[in-house]
Amino acid sequence: MTWTIQRIPEISGPSRIAAYLTAGGAAVAVAGLILRLLGLHPLELGGVVLRDSLGSRYGIEDLLLLAAPLVTCGLSVAVMLRVGLWNIGADGQFFVGAACAAGVGLYGPAWPVLPMLLLMAAAALAGGAAWIAVPALARLTLGTSEIITTLLLNFVARLGVDYLATGPWRDQRSSVTAQSPRVPVPIPRLPHDWHLGRVHWGVFAVLALAVLLALAFRLTHWGYELRICGANRHAAAYAGMKVRRRLGEAMLLSGAIAGLGGMLELAGTVHRLESGLSNGYGYVGIVIAVLAAASPIGCVVTGLLMALVLSAGTALQADGVPSSAAMALTGLILLFAAVGERLAHYRLAVLRPRASGAAG
Amino acid sequence: MSMLSSLLGNAVLSGAVLALAGQGELLAERVGVLNLGVEGLLALGGVTAIATVAAGHDPLLGLLAAVGVGAAVGCLFAAATVLARASQVLCGIALTTGGLGLAATLGRPYAGQPAAATFQPIDIPLLDRLPVLGPALFHQSAPVYVAFLVLPLALQLLLFHTRHGLVLRAIGENPAACDAAGIPVVALRFAYVALGAAIAAAAGADLTLAFVPSWSDGVTAGRGWIAVALVIFAGYRPWRIAVGAFLFGLVNALGYLAQARDWGVAPAFLSMLPYLATILFMVLPALSARSRPATTAPAALGLPYYRDQR
Repeated sequence: MTWTIQRIPEISGPSRIAAYLTAGGAAVAVAGLILRLLGLHPLELGGVVLRDSLGSRYGIEDLLLLAAPLVTCGLSVAVMLRVGLWNIGADGQFFVGAACAAGVGLYGPAWPVLPMLLLMAAAALAGGAAWIAVPALARLTLGTSEIITTLLLNFVARLGVDYLATGPWRDQRSSVTAQSPRVPVPIPRLPHDWHLGRVHWGVFAVLALAVLLALAFRLTHWGYELRICGANRHAAAYAGMKVRRRLGEAMLLSGAIAGLGGMLELAGTVHRLESGLSNGYGYVGIVIAVLAAASPIGCVVTGLLMALVLSAGTALQADGVPSSAAMALTGLILLFAAVGERLAHYRLAVLRPRASGAAG
Repeated sequence: MSMLSSLLGNAVLSGAVLALAGQGELLAERVGVLNLGVEGLLALGGVTAIATVAAGHDPLLGLLAAVGVGAAVGCLFAAATVLARASQVLCGIALTTGGLGLAATLGRPYAGQPAAATFQPIDIPLLDRLPVLGPALFHQSAPVYVAFLVLPLALQLLLFHTRHGLVLRAIGENPAACDAAGIPVVALRFAYVALGAAIAAAAGADLTLAFVPSWSDGVTAGRGWIAVALVIFAGYRPWRIAVGAFLFGLVNALGYLAQARDWGVAPAFLSMLPYLATILFMVLPALSARSRPATTAPAALGLPYYRDQR
């Protein structure tokens, strides 16, 4: 009897997710070890983070408010991941969506709140989709890598928002020179007797979006075609599917969702256009979508987990560790997840010598 | 110095970072590994160099330290992508995010301060007396000469004029055939990915010790990604990377010039120029490249190699 390592060509969804979560946990453990070596107390810190975020009403409110833009960006990346493409530009689309929403909110018609919010959402969806249109066109007609083009546009979007917030849209009455005036149309907050006073309805909009996407992926013909296009483009084309069209739709939808995330963050939480609106949410969105294996409902779960990880970064600031350490941890989680997913393709098996004379 | 001379000089100076990073990326891509972590390597190299010169006051020491850190991180990346065969795209994004985060964390004590020691310009005898071109091209620091002359020449000779280079290119095209011919595919991929990462980190040292020269959060400003795009734009050739880096540097330098002379364009729009130009440069060759099959990517680029899937 000998042990051997076997490689399995394809693994099931659940075992993939299990591998991702194990790897993510391992990355957090490694980070804890590093903190311990630096003389900090990671277990105590973890306890503090859990108590601060889950143990108090304020903590849960903060967690939900942080998770909302993260999950939206995760959903955005997940839509393109379904067809095997990478949206590294969710951050830029997020900013453009927020800028479009702010423009409508500040200089648009003076309608009542609800139609106004819908108009802002429509502007943000259109802006996000427009921001990915050039990378989509280049990808689908010329085969230009969407990874690099979407990423480069992040810098352009952030610079554009910077320009608006410090230039033409700058708040003239405030001494802070890098933000727009307060956008007068806030997303209503949850009813007072729910005891989540600072959480707005946008959080439920994100949840609804995740459910909607999950249903569309699972139940519609369109979702089926997206999945086949992602699994094997040649097979999809051979089966008569309009592959290029589906890829284009996925890219535009992905950009639109990230743009909507920007609008929700602007109208729900921040209320002013500024270049600090996203703290690298689009990049965290990649981690969220990958850990969830591009499942929309999974994105909600991994989005909450990543919100917890990022709030640990905030808690660390009290100990003198800069907030950028959370970004380093994000990278570590992603690296571990990528390796863990591969390692999950291997299993230890027992080879028994075949009994002599047994029929083959 | 005349306006044209300073424009060219700035173009060479800012192009050198891209040229170095691009040559490093070229090595990895030629053996079939797409390293999207250049941005993180630039940041790590840059912060290592700054921290080293703060202690040692020798720019060469800073550069060597950056190369060492780059090689170590490159080994980690190669272990994940070449040995464990994890997704190269994912690991690259992880290296970028992790590298930027780590560099920002480690570099906080040095942020905003001028580098303690910088690379000084070296005059090339006779050539530096040329009008316009002399001060622009032949009054530069050592890393610039390496980026535009030494490294492209070395890589051109290595890749296209030696047997070893032929082997490397073959690994990027068809690792299975190389494996069958007895070439150690995994070992060579590992080595050249690590070497490429070391060169990319050296580009980071050039950024913080010669070009800027200081460290601040976000100082890399997407240059790593521009370098990745540059390799595609250059059709995976060392000399074309050097020429392309100069072109990108020129776009950068035009932005500075417009800012300095106040041409009436908001600085934000000028800062957008390199990114927009990169996208344009990526799209333009693709529009005209249908007749040039020689400039396409290595066939096995981005694909992990499994011996049992030959």
